[in-house]
Amino acid sequence: MSLLTVESLRKSFGTLGAVNGVTFQVQPGEIYGLLGPNGAGKTTTISMISGLLKPDAGTVKIGGTAFWADPQRARRQMGVVPQELALYEELSGKENLEFWGRLAGLGPREAKARAAELLESLELSDRANDPVKTYSGGMKRRINLGCALLHRPQLLLLDEPTVGIDPQARMNILEFIQKLRAAGTAILYTTHYLEEAESLCQRIGIIDGGRILAEGTLSQLQERLGGDRLFVIDADFTNTVPENWGAFLQRFRIIQKSERQIIAAAIGTRDPSECLKDLLELPVRVENVSLKRPSLNDVFLQLTGRNLRE
Amino acid sequence: MRNIFTIGHNDLRLFLKRKSAFVWLFLIPLAFVYFMGFANRGGNDPSNRKPEVLIENLDTNFLGRVFMDELSAQNMSLLDPTNRGTASRIIRIPADFSAKILQHQQSKVEFLKRNGSDEANAAIIQLRLFRALIAMNGHILEVSTGSDSNGPLTEAALRGVMATPNPVKLKASFAGRQPVPSGFNFSLPGNLVMYVMMNLLIFGGTTLASERNNGVIKRMLSSPVRRMEIVLGKIYGLLLLGLVQITFFLLVGKFLFHVNLGANLPGVLIILMAFAWVAASLGVLVGSLLAAADRVSGICVLASLLLASLGGCWWPLELASPALRSVALFTPTGWALKALHQLISFGSGFEVVLVPLAVLLSFGAAATWLAARYFRS
Repeated sequence: MSLLTVESLRKSFGTLGAVNGVTFQVQPGEIYGLLGPNGAGKTTTISMISGLLKPDAGTVKIGGTAFWADPQRARRQMGVVPQELALYEELSGKENLEFWGRLAGLGPREAKARAAELLESLELSDRANDPVKTYSGGMKRRINLGCALLHRPQLLLLDEPTVGIDPQARMNILEFIQKLRAAGTAILYTTHYLEEAESLCQRIGIIDGGRILAEGTLSQLQERLGGDRLFVIDADFTNTVPENWGAFLQRFRIIQKSERQIIAAAIGTRDPSECLKDLLELPVRVENVSLKRPSLNDVFLQLTGRNLRE
Repeated sequence: MRNIFTIGHNDLRLFLKRKSAFVWLFLIPLAFVYFMGFANRGGNDPSNRKPEVLIENLDTNFLGRVFMDELSAQNMSLLDPTNRGTASRIIRIPADFSAKILQHQQSKVEFLKRNGSDEANAAIIQLRLFRALIAMNGHILEVSTGSDSNGPLTEAALRGVMATPNPVKLKASFAGRQPVPSGFNFSLPGNLVMYVMMNLLIFGGTTLASERNNGVIKRMLSSPVRRMEIVLGKIYGLLLLGLVQITFFLLVGKFLFHVNLGANLPGVLIILMAFAWVAASLGVLVGSLLAAADRVSGICVLASLLLASLGGCWWPLELASPALRSVALFTPTGWALKALHQLISFGSGFEVVLVPLAVLLSFGAAATWLAARYFRS
């Protein structure tokens, strides 16, 4: 059974539809990535799942029970890591963990023991008693993550937990999240970093304009573009349009086009050498043709016509 | 309930970790109490002043002891010889005090001056000594002329007469208006009320505004904690902070400025805690209504100064115009001070401050309701 089920979730702020019918599920031991640019509706979706916002329509089920049927029970099952560093900077890492542990329902001794355990796991034991304001960005992010884990939640909601930190610190956090997944935690992970979604998530939902545009494993999403390769054609396309290139548009789907470059995917299962021959016969002076594996950005590009990083 | 305590205790810890807290909770208020007390010193002493007098009882017989009890009943603080330094006057009961009276002879009690002592206190002691002497003579006369007048004058007979309620009682009160509190008796309650209001508004407002801005409140709301528990936890934390400041003020008032806190300290504490509840709830309300922490500070300072001036923290309302006194009735500071002056300066019983207490509790309930109503993440 899915630990988190989101069905047809909708939320508007005035006339702006922030989330427009989002549906997905997260299984135990799975990291589900919600990938989209800023303003795509990721945080609004997480806010509705964690009960910070009431949806206009749709349902959120935690462990099969509707969230709003028993919000306190649902909250006890989940841990939420907000995008902001929601910490008390004047308190030490240990004090922060103990405080959030107490609010999560642990007794004083249990909170203390669990805080010590998490400080060890997060490799922060040596700085446990220092005020958080003296920590580096990466250390703060780790404590921010730890504060959601005191009560060993079955479901973890991570809202862009690696924003603004260096690659090494990001790597540490991602490794830690992998360990949580391996221990059976269901994780919803929102990000606008392609690499994180590609390397971390078992399934990915691409979200934009409050809608899930595509969903699946990385390879399933790549399949949408016609397999595991894309053709990058460098040429001067200023005074020509593909519609005039004979059967080109029947054989290729254009993912991106600029005056100097076209990225295209072959339609159907065709041999790459055949495809290359087609491309070299185009009525333009081709300067270079290369092959690349489709990325999530290419998928996003194909779905929205925009780069994820725009 | 547990979450309320957890949030409140955490907030108190956070408040006390700020260095500025010590300045605003302790240093600045202390300076203001001193300077305002100095500026407001005057001839009007509180009616319940209990001056300290040293008693040298050289009489070993019972009449010396009975006379000391008479002195004590006249509201004087009797010191033993080890505390000689603080006494304003010395009363010496001669060794033959009992013997002479029992032989129907006159005995003279000595009233000795101490150089450099407080003259106002000395005058009160002199007056009360006269009253004690008149009462003592009256009781001896009553025993001597009563139904058992043939027997000797005994301690039991004398104490029996003393324990009998007086058939005629004199109730003295100020004609016209109330006496005006002055000196530290005025500045201590005034500054206590002003700084409790100011600090709870500022600490409550800024803390909530910054916790909302950095996502802490959202995080709390996504924890298994109810919204009302967060509001009450925040108010509870501020109440604890108020208690710290109240305790400090009362200790400083008692031991540094020698303010007589009256006979009803629990009553004073109840009034102050009710007032702190109002201030704490208003602090949470301000933090919910205003977004920027720096704006919160400015508005809270202005609001608390306005409430302090309208409520009579800066000047005795007894000296203010009737219009200003009417305005004070709409402020929690005014009601708190009214009750505190009754308990501290005028020596009133708790029953006199029940109405101000009820008004403060109403203010508190309304402010808490508004704080909960407008609380946002």
